[in-house]
Amino acid sequence: MNPSPSTKPTPLFLQGVCLCVLFIFSFGFLPAATLPKVVLFTTGGTIQSKGEHRDKLFEYTDGKVTPKELTDDLPELQTIAAIETVEISNVGSGEIGAPQLLKLVKAINAALARPDVTGAVVTHGTSTLEETAYFLHLTVKSTKPVVVVGAMRPFTAISRDGPFNLYNSVRVAITPEAVGKGVMVVLDDTIHSARFVTKGNTYHVDTFVDRDIGPLGFTDSDRVVFYRTPLSRHTSNSEFDVSILETLPMVDIVYGYQEASAAPLEALITAGAKGIILNDGAPSFKKGSLKALSEGIVVVQSDRKGSGRVVLSEHSAGRGVITADSLNAQKARVLLRLALTKTTDAKEIQRIFNTY
Amino acid sequence: MRRMNVSFRFPFFCFLSLAILSGSTMAQEIPAAYAPKALTLPHVVLISMGGTIASRGDVRLNVSNYGGKGMRVDPEVWIHDLPDLALYARVTTEDFRQPEDATGGMTFEYFYKVAKRLQELASDKTVDGIVVTHGTNTMAETAYFMDLVVNIHKPVVFVGSQRPWTGLSGDGPLNLLNAVRIAATPEAAEKGVLHAMNQLINPARDVTKTSAYRVETFKSVDVGAIGVADPDVVKFYSEPTRRHTYRSEFNITTLPATLPVVEIVYAYTESPGYLIDALVEHGAKGIVVDGTGAGSPAGDQVDAIKRAQAKGVVVVATARTRGGRVQDTIKRRESGIIPGDNLPPEKARLLLQLALSKSSQPAEITRIFNEY
Repeated sequence: MNPSPSTKPTPLFLQGVCLCVLFIFSFGFLPAATLPKVVLFTTGGTIQSKGEHRDKLFEYTDGKVTPKELTDDLPELQTIAAIETVEISNVGSGEIGAPQLLKLVKAINAALARPDVTGAVVTHGTSTLEETAYFLHLTVKSTKPVVVVGAMRPFTAISRDGPFNLYNSVRVAITPEAVGKGVMVVLDDTIHSARFVTKGNTYHVDTFVDRDIGPLGFTDSDRVVFYRTPLSRHTSNSEFDVSILETLPMVDIVYGYQEASAAPLEALITAGAKGIILNDGAPSFKKGSLKALSEGIVVVQSDRKGSGRVVLSEHSAGRGVITADSLNAQKARVLLRLALTKTTDAKEIQRIFNTY
Repeated sequence: MRRMNVSFRFPFFCFLSLAILSGSTMAQEIPAAYAPKALTLPHVVLISMGGTIASRGDVRLNVSNYGGKGMRVDPEVWIHDLPDLALYARVTTEDFRQPEDATGGMTFEYFYKVAKRLQELASDKTVDGIVVTHGTNTMAETAYFMDLVVNIHKPVVFVGSQRPWTGLSGDGPLNLLNAVRIAATPEAAEKGVLHAMNQLINPARDVTKTSAYRVETFKSVDVGAIGVADPDVVKFYSEPTRRHTYRSEFNITTLPATLPVVEIVYAYTESPGYLIDALVEHGAKGIVVDGTGAGSPAGDQVDAIKRAQAKGVVVVATARTRGGRVQDTIKRRESGIIPGDNLPPEKARLLLQLALSKSSQPAEITRIFNEY
């Protein structure tokens, strides 16, 4: 069919531009200016560690992989997001504590307040990753996605899981459906809520589990897919504000077992703990916790089984003991430290444990 | 259909004391310290579609051969045996059981009957929540069907038991009590049709029976439960993101009298193509292939699917792994097979039947499988 006289032929250079754009799109490469910006906060961990040789799946050294090495190793990231890196630390997760947590959350809040930033990803050692993730879940002041990621195998290992975990974390951080879901943990193609997730295996790549309550979704090859939205209060809906804090109250955990000694509990009272988490029970805890309560220390009852809630018992409430809901001891500690920045009232802290 | 209002004639406290004094063998004494949660209790409608929970065995140890003619538990017997229900709700019962001599399990006739009744109850201002009992073998299917076709905001809770009402350490009484507690909980609203057994609350879409006889059998494989019915509180931790009930485009009031025929074939080493040919011959409009691994048909199924598609039959792939999603891969797109997401084949079948009642366009059906 002949073109109608009024139709001007498309200028050649425009056709060329169109072809170029099509070409770029078809390969998944977009100009950097249009890519969503993700800030990558690195703290270290196995994902940034090196072993002597590639069969070394343990006995590797933390702090060996710089943020630049991490991102240079994964050029695929540049095709989906503009990555900006901020190094918080380069240590194993055992080295993380209140100073690093406060530095990290302040940096994340500053970044997410920028309109040009779509989301944040945090690298972390896996052993205490759930504690940091839950701390961020309670203190980040944004609905933008925050994803904490790690690896079970070092940067140098055969079949290392780190690169794909990192790639998938960035995918989640730029997924619109991830907005408002709080802090998430992404490993092994699975998206966990920081509220539920716990490390459930010492070395396997599917280590992170959400007992009773499952994951939020998955980072499948075709798309990032969500099945759940968490309901407990978090991030932009949280009442905790750490922006002016330099430290967090001292809270420690005692483990319950047959014939558990009263000594740790008494030592914590002497050492000046503001809160104590009982990880399960022991006969000696009764006297010890009464003593703690009489000295104004807040006592929270958690449980070592790793699944199920500590139910609200009128008996414990009468003694002033707070129940930890379904939080394991290490996460109950995170919440209690933040609760103690606001109040020492047992009823008020129980409300906090019921709603976060 | 029989309807019975067990408590409307009496003030609440009067009913409660009568119920406790009636002293059934199953009901334990209610500790005096327990007070009703509210002065005006929610009204929960308890619909019986039967099931093991509505069956009795000859002796207490008989937990595998029960029910049938003369061995059923009428809904009012539950109320009699469980005066504890009156602590949480004013419960009225409705009987939607199949006839005593019915064989072959649940039917679409009853799907429609119950869905229509649920739709009526949705706008009944005197009703706060609904509990439906059902046999456990196919209850996940029935619950999912209701989840897709009933436009309702109120809690709807499916419940059953693994052991008959008369069984030793029967799970039925506590399951039923918890189901009523959940249906009477305002937070249970707008979460789609729920399933509750063994203190766990699962969405109808995700829940599936995973063990033939153990009491811990219903799980949302991969995605987990969304809440718990613990002794102290009913608590929700998450909610489903997929479309359901009041967010569904399907509704029982506008469904055709019969849905398009969709059947299931299972994939395995050297699976033949003639089963698919036979289904097409019998007039199936859709076929769900429960594929191996990531959802792949096997053997001669591959060619039989092409023959079926040439005749306009829509093919959906599920994965027999019962965990993980069937993904939207280039190969699958080229073969015109629609990914069934993470649905088991029996649920993919129901969704495909509903989808086919509206459209036979692969793009439209793919959208439906992505959204529900």
